[in-house]
Amino acid sequence: MNWDAGLPLLILSSSLLPGLVIFFLPEERVATRTTLNLGGALLKLVLVGVMVWGVFHGHHYETRMPLLPGLDLVLRADAEAVLFVTLSTVLWLVTTVYAIGYLEDSPHRSRFFGFFSLCVTATVGVALAGNLITFLLFYELLTLATYPLIVHRGTEVARQAGRTYLTYTIAGGALLLVGTVWIYSLAGSLEFTHRGFVAELVDTHRAALIVIFVLLIAGLGVKAALVPLHGWLPQAMVAPAPVSALLHAVAVVKAGAFGIVRVVDDVFGVEVAANLGVTGPLAAVAAVTIIYGSLRALFQDDLKRRLAFSTISQVSYIILGIAIVGPAATIGGLVHLVHQGVMKITLFFCAGNLAETLGIHKISEMNGVGRRMPWTMAAFTISALGMVGVPPLAGFISKWYLGLGALDAGQGWVVFVLAGSSLLNAGYFLPILYAAWFKAPPDAWPAERTWGSRETFWLLLAPPVVTALLTLAAGLLASAPFSPLQWARFITAQEYMP
Amino acid sequence: MITTLGLFLLLSVPGLPLLLALPALRSRLPWPCYLAILPAVILLLIPADFSIEVPWLLFGTGLGVGGASRLLLAMSVVLWVAAATLLRAPSSRPADNRLATFFLLTMAGNLGMILATGLVGFFAFSTLMGYGFYGLLVTTGNAGARRAGRAYLGLLILADLALFEALLVTAATTGDLGFGAARHAMAQSPSLGLYLSMVVFGFAAKAGIWPLHFWLPLAFRSTRPAVALLLGGVPVAMALLGMVRWLPLGEITSPKLGLIIQGIGVAAMLYAILTGLIRGQLKLLPAYAVIATTGLFVTALGTGLADPAAWAGYGNLAHYYIVSLGLGLAILTTTIGWLQARRGYPVTPAMQTDDSNPWFERWPGAVVRWGAKIGFYTLPGLRSSWLAKMGCLRQICAWQRILDSIEHSLQRWTFASTLLLLLAMVSVFLAAC
Amino acid sequence: MAILLPLVGALVCFLWPRRSVPLGLVTAIGVVTCVAGLGWQVVVLGTQRYAVGGWGAPLGIDLYADGLSLLMLMVTAGVGLGISAYSTSYFERKQSALFWPLWLFLWAALNALFLSADIFNLYVTLELLGLAAVALVALAGGADALTSAMRYLLVSLLGSLFYLLGVALLYHSFGSVDMAILAQRMEPSPAVWAAIGLMSAGLLLKTALFPLHFWLPPAHASAPAPVSALLSALVVKASFYILLRLWLEVFPPGNVALGQLLGLLGAAAVLWGGIQALRQTRLKLLIAYSTVAQLGYFFLAFPLGTATAWKGTLYLLLSHALAKAAMFMAAGNIIRFGGHDRIADLDRVAHRLPLTVTAFALAGISIIGLPPSGGFIGKWLLLDAALRAGQWWWVVILILGGLLAAAYVFKVIGYAFTQAGVLQETRTVPTIMEWVALALALGAILLGLFAPWPLALMEIGLPFGRESAG
Repeated sequence: MNWDAGLPLLILSSSLLPGLVIFFLPEERVATRTTLNLGGALLKLVLVGVMVWGVFHGHHYETRMPLLPGLDLVLRADAEAVLFVTLSTVLWLVTTVYAIGYLEDSPHRSRFFGFFSLCVTATVGVALAGNLITFLLFYELLTLATYPLIVHRGTEVARQAGRTYLTYTIAGGALLLVGTVWIYSLAGSLEFTHRGFVAELVDTHRAALIVIFVLLIAGLGVKAALVPLHGWLPQAMVAPAPVSALLHAVAVVKAGAFGIVRVVDDVFGVEVAANLGVTGPLAAVAAVTIIYGSLRALFQDDLKRRLAFSTISQVSYIILGIAIVGPAATIGGLVHLVHQGVMKITLFFCAGNLAETLGIHKISEMNGVGRRMPWTMAAFTISALGMVGVPPLAGFISKWYLGLGALDAGQGWVVFVLAGSSLLNAGYFLPILYAAWFKAPPDAWPAERTWGSRETFWLLLAPPVVTALLTLAAGLLASAPFSPLQWARFITAQEYMP
Repeated sequence: MITTLGLFLLLSVPGLPLLLALPALRSRLPWPCYLAILPAVILLLIPADFSIEVPWLLFGTGLGVGGASRLLLAMSVVLWVAAATLLRAPSSRPADNRLATFFLLTMAGNLGMILATGLVGFFAFSTLMGYGFYGLLVTTGNAGARRAGRAYLGLLILADLALFEALLVTAATTGDLGFGAARHAMAQSPSLGLYLSMVVFGFAAKAGIWPLHFWLPLAFRSTRPAVALLLGGVPVAMALLGMVRWLPLGEITSPKLGLIIQGIGVAAMLYAILTGLIRGQLKLLPAYAVIATTGLFVTALGTGLADPAAWAGYGNLAHYYIVSLGLGLAILTTTIGWLQARRGYPVTPAMQTDDSNPWFERWPGAVVRWGAKIGFYTLPGLRSSWLAKMGCLRQICAWQRILDSIEHSLQRWTFASTLLLLLAMVSVFLAAC
Repeated sequence: MAILLPLVGALVCFLWPRRSVPLGLVTAIGVVTCVAGLGWQVVVLGTQRYAVGGWGAPLGIDLYADGLSLLMLMVTAGVGLGISAYSTSYFERKQSALFWPLWLFLWAALNALFLSADIFNLYVTLELLGLAAVALVALAGGADALTSAMRYLLVSLLGSLFYLLGVALLYHSFGSVDMAILAQRMEPSPAVWAAIGLMSAGLLLKTALFPLHFWLPPAHASAPAPVSALLSALVVKASFYILLRLWLEVFPPGNVALGQLLGLLGAAAVLWGGIQALRQTRLKLLIAYSTVAQLGYFFLAFPLGTATAWKGTLYLLLSHALAKAAMFMAAGNIIRFGGHDRIADLDRVAHRLPLTVTAFALAGISIIGLPPSGGFIGKWLLLDAALRAGQWWWVVILILGGLLAAAYVFKVIGYAFTQAGVLQETRTVPTIMEWVALALALGAILLGLFAPWPLALMEIGLPFGRESAG
């Protein structure tokens, strides 16, 4: 097996193997576990760096193993995969650091970090999957690896949340499976190709293809939290903060959204999907989700729940971008995949910091918290403004391309959806910022812990600050080479150029 | 060499204030507010006109200085130096730290707007300035200022949305988002009407032009002098500048819109003069002066839209008007502040507010309160707002309850509802396709 | 050899009960080696036919090995080795002395069954198998176990009787019991149909297809853990194997209605077993009902009848054997550890047996049919076949069954993460018992990653016909 064929597998194992080892580590071997975690994350980062460089220079990385006669397990680094892999790898490193700080002295850490690594492995697998069955495989693995993380706290509420999560995702997985088998039995192939592999079936199997599309999207929509399939997400908030962060920014929700990108772009191909007339309804569902999520977020007092509904709304931007057929909108959707991840992970880190340091869980308790924890709240502010779409932050870039794409495609209504959502985003984020910065702090915080002169533990503080800077950089330096935007353009060029 | 120097200078004009806005950095340097304005002063002193393109910034941003923008820059420098001096004067409480942060952020936005040569850059800097200025208003502390700040923020968000739409329309029409090219392209675009109305609304909201002016008197009445001094020169003048830069004036003839805008301008002037006379508070004088002068400006703008020839003749006066407006207002505010101080009025008089309404305070969601406030203050003088508030809240309550019950049933019957919904979704999709 | 060795081992164990554990283990390893040798032979040389005592068909006893029987032998060997290892520390000395001879005897019967080439021989081995299984169920002692053992015996005999009647009818009609010869001479007639009906019914009863499944849960649940594993993993598969053989090679083709009926019953079994499993409050009963549901899957291939469907079924069968054995062993560990198997109180137990819970979870993944696992591959093939045949309703059944399986598996696993409220008296579980369960569960998972090899084995001797025929 030469280097080009082995690299994707190597990237996968750089988190799988440490994860498996961690399972068997005794609870008290903190140093070994931390070394393994960080070592794996750094190694993966380096490998992904090599891959990005290679893909940019025309290398073709592909690992292929036979799974069934005629069906291979394929890990391939195409441009879309690289986008998602890079996102998850970078954010994994950050989240690992955060989780090490967050879970200091809590029980079951070996179990936690083991599943944590598995979860990332599955995400990377989802990203690198070169055909639908490989995707399905890792997608289900992701479901399974995330479940222990959600119920990690072990309370009754957590168990309930875990159950809800499983009910939704396994049902979704089943739909996905049916869709996958069906399309396989029709097309005889599942390989992701840039313009889809079902083009020749459009005339003969039109109805079947539409049903398959609906099945696939419904299956993926569960994870992507499309309304009305979003019910698990707010409940899953009982998980520890790093898990929520990972769930919302990188792993589960993103896997769903990424899957929809794959289905529309690489299974059906945008032209075929548009020809089938399925992109319109998909865009409508995404639009409804965007507005509904924002509306619901307005009324939440629990910080993490508000963020959860915000995720529901934001992730649908990606889907909206894909469903509006057109290069600019696709760029917007793809770039939002990255941007939303970076921004949302910051917000969850900050929420975790507030909960860990001051015992704050509700927005009504956040008065004046900016004075107590200025760095955390500064990071929160940047990301929240980014979510609203304030220039020049990351969210602005996404909205810009989405709006542009909508106008290009002659779907002006999308612009109003975007505007409405921005307005609602402002409505639910700005009061938090106002309370945090301008209201007078209370006499005592709910449950305060102190770390000397610092506002909180440095392992908890560094990750959100870093990701907030990334948010800033992703927007400000959008036109620099290797920025998410440039990469999204690169992908879209491949998708739309013959 | 010159280009490197120019690049460095132009970038540091908004960049240095931004950097200094970081509290950690600022606390170690003496005179941060003055230091921050230094690059702008240096830029003023270099006689050459030059501009740069920064391709890696956003979608490629241009910055440049020359002609009118030099004049505006000079005005801003004067204003900011004066404000910085006033800011330092009263005391150096620790809370001033945050004030300084917002001060510097606003400064960065303001200077950036003046230097920006493209729509996107201008827009980004104007947002920065807007949020920074909101911070300045709110940090000042008393209830009136906070209310003014909230109203301003609400308008700001709406304005940014409108401008964003306008930007999108422009970007969909032309690839080049420099001012000249964009204006030219929009003049021929079929979506000109949308563009014009969006731009006019956006900047009108930012500038506090008559029907959207209600935050201005509040702000003038309750902020500290340094901020009041900036009010005319920063948000108002810059928004007017935006209109001049964004609207394809002199290239199009739009009598209908021109007439409307003229009407608004005249109404604004009348309103300002009448209310100013009736209220007759000295401290509010600058506010009504702003409303009147912006009204005048808007009237001129309307004329320009209706009659391109007129704009071609007098258009270049617009910049001078903006400069004199900013400076004049600053002088007026300072004078009045000084007069008041001599007469012994409290510098920031306590305002009577209805913030202490008990049922209102009890209402949990701050958002709802905000939404309500922003919503109602856009209709000045409408005394039926009480009723509207009640009705609106009840409606929101009802909606919330409905949504909650949907959520509850979804979560309670997860399995059944998931299946049901999946099926429903599938069938709906099928019906739709 | 594969038959004789365990037989001899059983005898030896019976004779020297004190040494039964090491002897049994040695035998088990020997059998595995033999099977491996046979496997090598089949892979290299193709199908094997061996006439015992030099008398060929139609008179003598013929042994026949193709890909299908080889796979069955192999999975039996794998699970058998696991069960042997598990049993070394499960049983107390007294039980152990009884267990080993019976178990090795059963193993011999199984191997003989999988290698038999004629239907009468099949009957004999089936009967032997049934008797050994009944004895093993009774091994647990106690009134419950005896009652269910008796019921099991009854059912077993009844099933065998039906089968024997069918065999007699066929022999009367065609004068031979050799499958190959029967297949040549076979022509539809009322007698043949009656034979088919009788044989099928008998085998269905022994395979516990819904609605004939009622005997299975009590029998499987009351037996000791390794025996439950044995029964669920291997014994029910034996009768299914016979049915499969007959269906594929002996029965005349074209009985669509019967196929549909079997499929329908299978579907009912999937749903009913799943729902019942979900309603159970005891872990072992849950697993037993899960077996009922899983057996239902196997019958979904009959209405489809394509090579892909058969392969899918066989694959499901393989992975189910491994996974279900692992599940029962895990349940055994839990009972050993906490003294009970009430699902609602599992949190106090599950928490401190991470390996066992992992084994259960991994086995559960395969049972649900989530990728990557053998169950997934099997299900994929079945789904593919169903869609290609245009019979989409089986797809619905497969998916619903998977959802139900997920529901009951996670009903158990959910407790692994809850904080234990009250700690209770526990007994230690030998490490080997935990590791064996884990190893079998891993086997079920790995089946999903290395599917091409077993699928290639299935091609040997073309038991399912060519792909193009499907």
